Amino acid sequence: MPVFVPASLEEAFAVLEGAPGAQLLAGGTDFMVEVNAGQRRPATVVALGAVPELKGWRLDGDEVVLGAGLTYTEMISPELAELVPGLAQAARTVGSPQIRNAGTLGGNIATASPAGDTLPMLMALGATMTLGRSDGGRRAVGLDELVVGPKRTTLQPGEVLLEVRVRAGAGRQEFLKVGTRNAMVIAVASAAVVVDFERRSVRVALGSVGPVVIRAEEVEREAAKLIDWDARRLVGPLEGSGDFGELVRTAARPIDDHRSTAAYRRHAAGVCVTRAFRRAFSSEESTAP
Amino acid sequence: MMQVKLRLNGEDRQLRCEPGDTLLRALRREGCFSVRYGSDTGETGAAAVLLDGRLVSADVLLAAQADGHEVTTLESLNVATGELHPIQAAFVETGALQGGYSAGAMVLAAKALLERSPEPTDAEIRDALSGILDRETGYAKVVEAVRRAATALRGEKPGPLDPPILEPIGLEAALAIRPPADSTPDAPLALPRMVLSPDVGHTAVVGKAEPKVEGLRLAKGNAAFADDIELRAMLHAKLLTSPYAHARIVAVDDSKARALSGVHEVLHHFNTPHVRYASGGQSWPNPYPYDQVSFDDKVRYVGDRVAAVAADTPETAEEACTLIDVTYEVLPAALSASEATGDGAPVIHDETDSVGIYDAARNLSHHIEGQTVSDEALEAAFASADHVFTQSFSVPAQQHTPIEPHAVVGWLDEDERLVLRSSTQVPFHLRRMVAPLVGREVKEIRVVKPRLGGGFGSKQEMVTEDVVGLLVLATRRPVSMVFNREQEFISSRTRHAQSLTFRTGVMSDGTLVAQDLTVLADTGAYGTHGFTVQSLTGARGLSSYNCPAKRYRCDVAYTNRPVAGAFRGYGAPQAFFALESHLDDVAAAIGLDPIELRRKNWVRTGDRLDIVPRLGERGGVEDVSEEDLPVVTSCGTERCVAEGVRAIGWQRRDDPSWRQPDDRPNIRRGIGLALCMQGSGIPFVDMGACSIKMNDDASFNLLAGAADLGTGADTIFAQIAAEVLGVRASDIIVLSGDTDVTPFDKGAYASSTTYISGMAVKRAAEAARARIVERAGRLLGIEEEWVELRDRRAWAPDGHSVPLEDIALNALHTEDQEQIMGIASHWSPDSPAPFGAQFAEVEVDVETGEVTVTKLVMAVDCGVPINPLTASGQVEGGMIQSLGYGLTEEIVLDGQGRPLNAAFGPYWIFRADDTPPTEVIFVQTMEHSGPFGAKSVGEIPIDGVAPAVRNAVRNATGVAIDTLPLTPERVWRALQGR
Repeated sequence: MPVFVPASLEEAFAVLEGAPGAQLLAGGTDFMVEVNAGQRRPATVVALGAVPELKGWRLDGDEVVLGAGLTYTEMISPELAELVPGLAQAARTVGSPQIRNAGTLGGNIATASPAGDTLPMLMALGATMTLGRSDGGRRAVGLDELVVGPKRTTLQPGEVLLEVRVRAGAGRQEFLKVGTRNAMVIAVASAAVVVDFERRSVRVALGSVGPVVIRAEEVEREAAKLIDWDARRLVGPLEGSGDFGELVRTAARPIDDHRSTAAYRRHAAGVCVTRAFRRAFSSEESTAP
Repeated sequence: MMQVKLRLNGEDRQLRCEPGDTLLRALRREGCFSVRYGSDTGETGAAAVLLDGRLVSADVLLAAQADGHEVTTLESLNVATGELHPIQAAFVETGALQGGYSAGAMVLAAKALLERSPEPTDAEIRDALSGILDRETGYAKVVEAVRRAATALRGEKPGPLDPPILEPIGLEAALAIRPPADSTPDAPLALPRMVLSPDVGHTAVVGKAEPKVEGLRLAKGNAAFADDIELRAMLHAKLLTSPYAHARIVAVDDSKARALSGVHEVLHHFNTPHVRYASGGQSWPNPYPYDQVSFDDKVRYVGDRVAAVAADTPETAEEACTLIDVTYEVLPAALSASEATGDGAPVIHDETDSVGIYDAARNLSHHIEGQTVSDEALEAAFASADHVFTQSFSVPAQQHTPIEPHAVVGWLDEDERLVLRSSTQVPFHLRRMVAPLVGREVKEIRVVKPRLGGGFGSKQEMVTEDVVGLLVLATRRPVSMVFNREQEFISSRTRHAQSLTFRTGVMSDGTLVAQDLTVLADTGAYGTHGFTVQSLTGARGLSSYNCPAKRYRCDVAYTNRPVAGAFRGYGAPQAFFALESHLDDVAAAIGLDPIELRRKNWVRTGDRLDIVPRLGERGGVEDVSEEDLPVVTSCGTERCVAEGVRAIGWQRRDDPSWRQPDDRPNIRRGIGLALCMQGSGIPFVDMGACSIKMNDDASFNLLAGAADLGTGADTIFAQIAAEVLGVRASDIIVLSGDTDVTPFDKGAYASSTTYISGMAVKRAAEAARARIVERAGRLLGIEEEWVELRDRRAWAPDGHSVPLEDIALNALHTEDQEQIMGIASHWSPDSPAPFGAQFAEVEVDVETGEVTVTKLVMAVDCGVPINPLTASGQVEGGMIQSLGYGLTEEIVLDGQGRPLNAAFGPYWIFRADDTPPTEVIFVQTMEHSGPFGAKSVGEIPIDGVAPAVRNAVRNATGVAIDTLPLTPERVWRALQGR
C-alpha cells in the first residue's frame, strides 16, 4: 500500500493521474479504522493533510468557503462559529478532541455515513460542494447529488472534494441529536434546522434515519406556516405543546439496528426537529446541542 | 519501506517505516512505550500523542501523515531520572493512575489543554479528556489531577489532599434534614469523606493517602506492561477465530499459511495436544467442568479459537490466518439460555471426554440449590405472609473492557524454561494450569505479572497463555500475542447474563417472612466460573436481609454465545439488581418507605448469614449447625444509609418542584437507593504469602505473590509493612506476582487482596520486626518488649533511640550476622462482608427516554481503608462501571450469533465528559480479623449503582423497568406503556 503525501493540489492531482483509483485520505479517523480492521486494502493512498489549498476557510462575498481539509476543531473556532453557527454546533458533538483535531469536513462528507455529524447541517444550509479534477475541471454539486447512499458518493476516480460553500450567517441554525446515552454519541437520530429570517425560508434535514441525510420538505412547508416572520416567533400549535412528530415520522426512513428500532428513531427525529424549532425561536443564544 | 522525517520530542528524526505503518507502531518501535494499543479505531485514546501540539490518536494515523510534523509523546517530559513533571506529579498525588495504561495520553491531553487554557473549567478538563477511555478511575481523580496540575503550573500552591472528616449523623437525623439539599463539603469530590470510628487507633502510615508505590513508573510511561518489551527475533501471534456460532471442524489445511514468507508456526486441532481443562484461575482443584481444550474439533461461539499463527510481523500473522483453509460442518446454534434448555436444542457439549458437566444433554453446565428450610416450610411461610410478590428481571452480558487487552509475551530462558510475561490476575494458578496444556512441569514454567491496565476478572482466566506457550515451544522463539479490541470483546470473557425471579413473602409492617430466588444463567460456550459465580448470586441475593425461610435454585446453561466468566462483583451485581429493585417495588406496593422496609430487615452485627454454607450442587436443606453459620462481625449499613441520605439530599424525592422543574417540561427528576454487600476473600480456601527482608539502609524488599492489577495492592502492602516496621511507605520496595521470586498467592480476585494478602504482609512484617526489636533491645540495652519502632528508629521508653539503619548494618555486617527477614502466609475461616449504600440522582427526559445520572453517592463500610485515596479510586471506578451496566452496556449478537457491537462507540462505556459527579464516603468500622481493621472494597462498588439508577428512574417517572440496560428506547417504551 504505497502512501503519497503531496504538498500541493497540483502534486496531488499528478499522483492521481498515475493512480486514478487511489484512496484519498483526509484525517483518517474513519478510513484507518477500516484499514486496521482489514476491511480495506487500498492499492494506493493519497494523504491530503499537507495540501495547503484544502486548508482553512475564507469569505467570498456573502459566502463562506470552507476547505475540505477544515477540521472540526477549526469549525468550532469563534470566528467561524459566528458565521456558520450550526456547523460549530455539529462539530462540538463530534467524538473527542482527537477526532475533532484530525477529522475534516471533506472526510466527513466523503465517508458518507448516514450518521455523519456535519451532513444534516450542510443539507439544511443548502451547501454546495466543489469537486476538482486534474485537468482543471470543476463541478459544483449539492449534498444530495454527492452522497447517494451509505458510504456511497458520486465522486469520480481522480476527483477531489475541494471546498464547501455556505451562506454566511444564514439565520438561526440548530443541530440536535439523540443517542444511546446522551447527546455526544453516534446519533440514533439527529436533526438540523435553519430558519432564515431574511429570506423567510425554513430548511430541515434529518440524520441517521435513512440511508442518506433526508431533507424534510413537507416539514419545511408546514413549519413555514407556523412562523410569524414579522414578529419572529412561532404561532399556532408550536407556540404551545404541539410538535412535528407525525410529519417527521413520515419523512424518516430509518432501519432497525442494535442501537434502536426504526420506530424509536422516527420518534426521536421528531423530538429533535420540534426542539430545534423551539430553540431557533427562543431568545437564548444556542451554543451547544 | 519509506522514510518519514519528523521532529520527535524535540529531536529531528528519520524513521524507516512500511507505508501502512500506523504512527502508533512507528513510535513504539522507537521506544516510546507510553503510546499504547487500546484498539484500532482511535476510540480508547491510549495511543494519543501530540501532533504539532494537538492531541491525535496515533492508532488511526499513518506514520506517513506525520511526515514534516512535530510529534510529542509522554517521553518528552521524562527529563531527569526519578523526577516528575508537575502534571505527572499531580497524577500521582491525586491517585489518578490506577493501571496507568493510558497515563501518557492523559498527561499529554492535560498538557495541551493547560498550554491553551491555564485556568480551565471542569467542563473544559472533561472535554479535553473525553477521548481517552479509563475503565478504572471513574475519572474523578483524573479531573482533579488536571485541576491540580493547572494550579501548580500557575505557580500557586495546590490544596491539601487529606480526606475531609465528616461529623457522623444518625439515620433519623439525616431523614429529618429540612430543607433537603445535597450537602457537599468544600473539598474536591475526588477526595473521599471519612466518618471515623472511635474503635480505630492511631496509625502513622496506614489510613493515609499515600501515593502509589509504582506511581513514577506509570506517570512516566515506562515500559511496565506485558507488551512493553521487544525481544530479539520475537514473533507475533494472531488467533483465527470461528465465524460460526456452532460448527464442527472437519479439516484444516494450513499449507498456504505455512507457505507464506515469514510464517513460523500454525497451530490448530490437528497438530496440538488434546487436554481438557477449565480456564478459570481458581485454587486447586479447579472447579468443574473441564470442558475446554486448547484447539477443539468443534467451535461453540463466534470468536471461539480455531487456529493460531506465529509470524515475523503481526501483519504477516494476520494474513496467514486468512490463508488457513478450514472445513466446517455448521451446526444449529442455541443463542439464549431459554433456547438452549428448551426441547430439541442442539447439544453444545456432545463430546465424551469432558469432565464434570452437570447435564450435557440438556446444555446444563451446573445446577445449584440451597435453602434454609424445607420446601414445605417455605410454602408455609409464604402462606403466612400478608403479601406475596413475584417479579422477574433480566440482566445482560457486560464486557470488562480493560483498556489494556489480554497480552502475553513468552520465551524460553537460558535454561529453556518457559517464561510467560502475562497480563494476568492469577500468576500462580496460571503456572499450575498452563503446565499440562503445554506438556511441561510446573517447575519448568515461570509466570511474571507486570503492571496491568485493568482486568476486572477477565484476566482471572487463562485466555491466551496456553497458545503462546505452545507457540514458544514449537518455534523456540519469543512470541508476543495481544488481543485486538474485537477479540477482547468477544473472545475474552463477559459477565453472566441471567434471568432472575424473586418471590417474596412480606408482612404489612415490612417484615420479610419468605424469599425464593430462581435464576437461569447463561455461561456461554464454556462453563468456566459457572458454579462459583452463580453460587454467589444466590449468596448475595439472600444474605442482606434476615428472613426465616429462604430458597435458591439456579440452572446454568451453555449457549453458543461468548464465554461468561469472572467479572468484578462475580454474580452479585445480577443479584443486587434484582433484589434491590424488587424490594423498592415491594415497599411501594405495601405503602412503606423504601428505607423503612430495608431497615426492618437488614442484617446487623451479630446476625448469622444462613444461606451461604447451604449452596451446593445437591438439593434439599443442607444440615448446617447454627454455630457453623458465618456471623456478621462488623456492619456499618445504617450509618452508611444515613450518610448517603444526607449527601444525596434524599428528601427531595418528596419535593414536587424539584421533581418536575418548571423551566424544563420534558424533565422528571428522581433519587434511588440500593444497598449491597460483598465478601473479603474465599474462607478456608484463599491463601496469600509474603516475605520481607531488610537492606543496609533500613529499606525493605517486600515480595508478595499477590497480583496488583492497578488497584493499589502493592501500595497498601507497603503501608501495612511500613506501619509495622516504623518506616515510610517509600522505604518498602514492593515486587509482586513473579512465580520464580515471590511466595505463593491465590491472585487478585474475590475481594481477597487487602484482607488475605494484606494480613500475610502484616504477619511477615511482624516476623521481621521481631528480629529487629531483638537486636534493638541488645543495642539499647533493654528488654525487647520495650522497644518501639517509629520514624525509622528503634526507641527505648526513656527516649533513647537507635536508627534502624544502624540495626541493619549491625545485622548484615558486624555482629552475630543475619539477614533480618520475615515470611508469613495467611488464610482465614472468615470472609467479613463490607456493606454499602448507593444512591443515584437522575433526570429522565420523558420525550426521548434518555436517562442522565446527575450524581452518584456511595457510603461504604470497608472496615478501615488502608489507603483512602486508592480505596476511593476503587469505589469511583466501580460505580462508573456499574453505571454502564445500568444504562448502556450489553454485548449484542445477531441471529447467527455474530457480534453487532464489538467496538467502543457501539458498545458505550462512560467517558470523562458524560460521567456524573461521584461522592465517596467511608464509614469506618473495626474488623478485628482484618489487617488494621480492613475489609475489602474492590468489588462492592459495582453492586448497587444499576439498581439505584433503576429505582431513581421509577421514583422520577413511576415506571419500573426490570431489564438492563436502561437504554433510551427501553425507557421511552416503558413510558409509552404507562
